[in-house]
Amino acid sequence: MKQQRITFQNVDDLPNVVVSLGTMEWNHTGSWRYLRPRHENKVPACSNACPAGNDIEGFIRLIGENRFAEAWLKLKEENPLTRTCGRVCFHPCEAGCNRAHFDMPVSINALERFAGEHADRNLLAKTARPASGKQVAVIGSGPAGLTAAFYLARLGHGVTVFEAMAEPGGVLRYGIPAHRLPRAVLDDEIADIASMGVTFRCGVRLGSGGDLSYAELVGYDAVFVAIGAHESRRLGLPGEDAKGVMSGLHLLRLVAAGTRPRLGTRVAVIGGGNTACDAARVLLRLGTRVGLYYRRSRAEMPAFKDEIDEAIREGVELHELCAPVAISTNATGAVTAIRLIRMKLGEPDDSGRRQPHPIPGSELEVPVDTVVAAIGELADPGALPPGVEVTGDGSVRVDDLGRASVEAVFSGGDVTPGPRTVVDAIAAGKRAAVAVDLYLAGAEKAEAAKVMRVGLGGGISMSQYLERSLAHERYGDSEHVVTFDELNTAYFESQPRHRLKRLTVESRLSGFAEVNAGLTDREALVEAARCFHCGVCTECDNCYVFCPDVAVRPLGEGKGYEIDYDYCKGCGICVAECPRASMSLAGEEA
Amino acid sequence: MRKVIMGNHAASHAVRLARAQVIAAYPITPQTQIVEELSEMCASGQLAAKFLKVESEHSAMASIIAASSTGVRTFTATSSQGLALMHELLHWASGARLPLVMVNVNRALAAGWNIWTEQTDSLAQRDTGWCQLYVEDNQEVLDTVLQAYRVAEQIALPVMVCYDAFILSHTYEPVDIPDQDRVDAFLPVFSPTRLLDPLNPCSFSALVQPEHYMEMRYRIQQSMDEAIGVFRTAGEELHRHFGRRYGNLETVATDDAEVVLVTAASMTGPARLAVRKLRAEGVPIGLLKVRLFRPFPTAEVRAALAGKKKAIIVDRNISFGKGGIFADEIRAAMSNVDERPKIFGYVAGLGGRDITPAFLEAIAREALEKEDPPELEMKL
Ligand SMILES: Cc1cc2nc3c(=O)[nH]c(=O)nc-3n(C[C@H](O)[C@H](O)[C@H](O)COP(=O)(O)OP(=O)(O)OC[C@H]3O[C@@H](n4cnc5c(N)ncnc54)[C@H](O)[C@@H]3O)c2cc1C
Repeated sequence: MKQQRITFQNVDDLPNVVVSLGTMEWNHTGSWRYLRPRHENKVPACSNACPAGNDIEGFIRLIGENRFAEAWLKLKEENPLTRTCGRVCFHPCEAGCNRAHFDMPVSINALERFAGEHADRNLLAKTARPASGKQVAVIGSGPAGLTAAFYLARLGHGVTVFEAMAEPGGVLRYGIPAHRLPRAVLDDEIADIASMGVTFRCGVRLGSGGDLSYAELVGYDAVFVAIGAHESRRLGLPGEDAKGVMSGLHLLRLVAAGTRPRLGTRVAVIGGGNTACDAARVLLRLGTRVGLYYRRSRAEMPAFKDEIDEAIREGVELHELCAPVAISTNATGAVTAIRLIRMKLGEPDDSGRRQPHPIPGSELEVPVDTVVAAIGELADPGALPPGVEVTGDGSVRVDDLGRASVEAVFSGGDVTPGPRTVVDAIAAGKRAAVAVDLYLAGAEKAEAAKVMRVGLGGGISMSQYLERSLAHERYGDSEHVVTFDELNTAYFESQPRHRLKRLTVESRLSGFAEVNAGLTDREALVEAARCFHCGVCTECDNCYVFCPDVAVRPLGEGKGYEIDYDYCKGCGICVAECPRASMSLAGEEA
Repeated sequence: MRKVIMGNHAASHAVRLARAQVIAAYPITPQTQIVEELSEMCASGQLAAKFLKVESEHSAMASIIAASSTGVRTFTATSSQGLALMHELLHWASGARLPLVMVNVNRALAAGWNIWTEQTDSLAQRDTGWCQLYVEDNQEVLDTVLQAYRVAEQIALPVMVCYDAFILSHTYEPVDIPDQDRVDAFLPVFSPTRLLDPLNPCSFSALVQPEHYMEMRYRIQQSMDEAIGVFRTAGEELHRHFGRRYGNLETVATDDAEVVLVTAASMTGPARLAVRKLRAEGVPIGLLKVRLFRPFPTAEVRAALAGKKKAIIVDRNISFGKGGIFADEIRAAMSNVDERPKIFGYVAGLGGRDITPAFLEAIAREALEKEDPPELEMKL
C-alpha cells in the first residue's frame, strides 16, 4: 500500500463524504480475529434418538421440497421397512425432537408413513457393490432378518432367508394386527426386499426338531440368527392348561392367518405389554367383551401409550393392580372364571418400576369364557445354532456388532438382549449386515464402526458405511448432538402439530380396517415445514445476510457457503444468527 | 385520481409513487398506518420494495442508512418517542450525506404519556442536519413527500416531513393521487455518485481529523443554504407538474397588513378563518405560514415581516426555559433588520389541545391591544 497524502486546495475540493480513495481490500481485518466461525453440520436430536440412525431432517426436507419419492428413497437408505415403521414404530425420534421444547414435536412418524405412500420400487438401487460371491443365511424373517437380508444384498452378497412360518414378516405379519399394519403394505415392503435378489424359503424351521439343522446349512459363509422370541411365558397357575386358555401370540397368529376362533362372550387378557393390548383390540373385533388385567398400574404398562389409549377408547376394560391366582374350570375342563387378587405398589425394583404386592383377602372371581395370557415371550432354545452362548433368559449373547460366540454366526432382534421394538430389530439387522460384510472381507471393525455412527445414541448409518469416508455429507465427523438451547428460535414460529385422524370406534370394530389415516400432500407440507433441521444447514442465508464484513459468501444452491477468513473478524454474529446451530465458533489457534 | 384518504395513507401513496426500494420501520401511534399500508403494498406487489421489520426505531434508521449507502431510495416513518430513539443516527445520516426521507407524525413526548399532537419531538431534532417541513393538509402531505425525495437527492441531505397527529394523520380529506408517469416525470431516478459496493470495498465515514472535520461541516451548511433555493424550485416544479403551488413560506394578505399572524402546520387552517374574520372587520392583519423550518428561509421571512408592526407567532411546541421555537427563530431572523416588528410569541395547543379559529382570533385581539409582548408566552 503506497502512502498517499491528500491535500485540498480549498473547501470546494473536499468530497461530501468521508470515503477511501480506493479499495480497502488490502486491509485484512481477519487478522483481528480471535474466534473462528465455520459451517459445521451436527447431529439432529431426532436422528440421535433413532436406533436406525435415520436421516430424518433429510427426508423431511425432501418432502418440504415436494420431492416425495426421493424422501422415501432417503428413508430406505437407512431402513428397508419405512412404510411399516411409519405405522408401528414407537418413534423415539419424536421424543428426542427439539421442537418439543418449543411447541410440540414434529409428527415424524406420520411423515415417514406419508413418504412411504410415494414408494417407487424402480428407484431402488439393486446393489451398491459388485457381487462378492459369498452366501449368507438369514434365519427368521422378522424386521431384523428382513433388514439384514436387504443390506447384505445391497452389499453384493447372496442372501437366503429361512422362515418357519408360511409367509415372511415375523411379528409384523403374525403379531401386529392388520388394523395397525395392513398386510398389503407389509407385502409390498417385503417385495421391495425380494426385488434386491433375496431368496425366501418359507415353511422351513431351523434347529433341533425342525425341518433343517444348522449343520445342514452348507455353502453359506455366514449365518444371521433372527428368530425372535416366540415362546410365551406360562402363567404358572392352576387351570392354565384348561380348554379356553391360550397365549396372546397364539391368538394373534391364528387371527393373522385368517382363523376366527370361537372364544365365547367374555375374555380376560392378562398382561400389560404390546401383545396384551393387540390381543385385547383384536378380541373386540371378534365381538367379545374384553377385560385387561395388569398387576401394576397403567403408568407402568410396557405397551406403547398410544396402544393403551386406543384400546381403552375402543372399549377394552382396563383393570389395574390385578393379578391372576387361578383359572376355574367346569366338568368338561373348560374355563368358567378367573380368580384374581388386588395388588398395591411397593418400592421400585431393579427395572425401576414399582413392585406389586398382593393385598391379602382381596381376591375376586370374574366369570369368563376365555383367558388370554400375554405376560411376555422368550426365545426358543432349541432353535439356536449349537454352541452359541446365551444369557440367563435364553437370549443369544452378542457383542456390539451382533457377533455371537460362534465363528461366522451373528444375531440380533428379539432373540438377543435389549429393547424389543421393530426399529431396534431393524437397527440390529443393519448392524449385523455390516458386521457380516466386514467379516467376509476380513476388515478391521473399529474404523468402520466409527464411520457408521450417528451421534451418540448407538444409531448407525448404512449410507455412511457405504461412503466409507469421515467427511460424509450428513454431519461430517461431528458427534455433537444439537440441543434446544443451541437453536436461535427467533427464526421459528409456533405452528400446531398435525393431529392424527382416526376411524370412529364404531367403524373400527366392524373389521380390521386400518385405524389411523395418513397425511394429505398439504398436511405433509405443513408438517414438514415445522422441522427445525437442527444442526443441518438449509442455506437460509442468515450467515450471509448478517455478516457485517460481507465475509460469508454463498457458493450457489446446494453448495453452501465459504467464509473469507481474510476479512472475517470473528465477531460470531453468523453463528449467533444461525437458527439451527449448523455453524460453530472456536478459538483461533495461537 | 381523487380519493378521500387519511393523512397517513397520503404519505404511503407518495412513498409508493416515489418508488421507494427499501422501507424499514417500527410501529408507533400515530404513524403506524403509513407503514402498515406500505407493507401491504409490498406484499401485494404494488410496490417493489424490500420491507424490513426491525426491533426498534434506532434499527429502522440504521437499516435505511445502510440501504441508502448502496444507492437505493429509502423510507421510514416515526413519531415522538420513536424519533427520540433515532436521535444518534439522525446525525449520522446527515453527516454521511444520505438523501433519506422520513415522515414524522408530530406527537407529544412522555411523561405524562400522550399520543396527541405537538411539534416538540421534531423540533428537538432541529440541529441534526435534517431538512424539516411542516405541512397543513393531506394533499400537502402527499406532495411534500414527493418534493422531499427530489430535494434530498439533489442536495445529499436527509429530509423530514412533519404533520400533526390525528388532525392530519387520521383525518380523511380528498386527495389527488397523481398517476405514476406524472410522478416519474417530476421525480427522476435516484443516481448517487458514491456507492457502498461489496465488490469494491471502500472505507466509509472513517476518522476525520480536526484539519478536515470543520470543512465537512461547512459543506453541510453550504448545502443547507443551497437547499432553500432547491426547495423553492422543487415547489415551482410541483406546481408545473401537478398544479399545486408550495413555497417555503406562504403569505395571505400580508402586503397591506400591519400585523401578521405566523403559524405552521395544521393550525394554519383555523388561522386562515381567524384572519379572514378580522379582515372583514377591517383589522389590518395578514397570515404567514412557515412551511420550511430547516433550512430556515431567513431572507424570505425577513421580506415577509420587515416593516410590519407586530408579528404574532403561535407555537405548538416549547423549548422549556425559553418559549416557542418558531417565535425564537423568527426573533433571531429579524434581529438585524431595522424596521422589525415586535414579536408576540404564544405557546398553545400542547399535547393535542385544540386550536380553534376563535382561540386564534382571541390571541390576535390580545396582541393587537397590547403595546408589549406578554412575559409568559404560554396560553392555557
Ligand atoms: C403383538 C406384538 C405387537 C408389537 N407391536 C410393536 C409395535 O407396535 N411397535 C414396535 O416397535 N414393536 C412392536 N412389537 C415388538 C416387535 O414386533 C419386535 O421387537 C420385532 O418384531 C422383533 O423382530 P425380530 O426380527 O427380532 O423377530 P420377529 O419379528 O419375532 O421375527 C422372527 C421370525 O423368525 C421366525 N422363526 C422363529 N424361529 C425360527 C426357526 N427356528 N427357523 C426359522 N424361522 C424361525 C419367526 O417365525 C419369525 O418370522 C410388538 C411385538 C408383539 C409380539
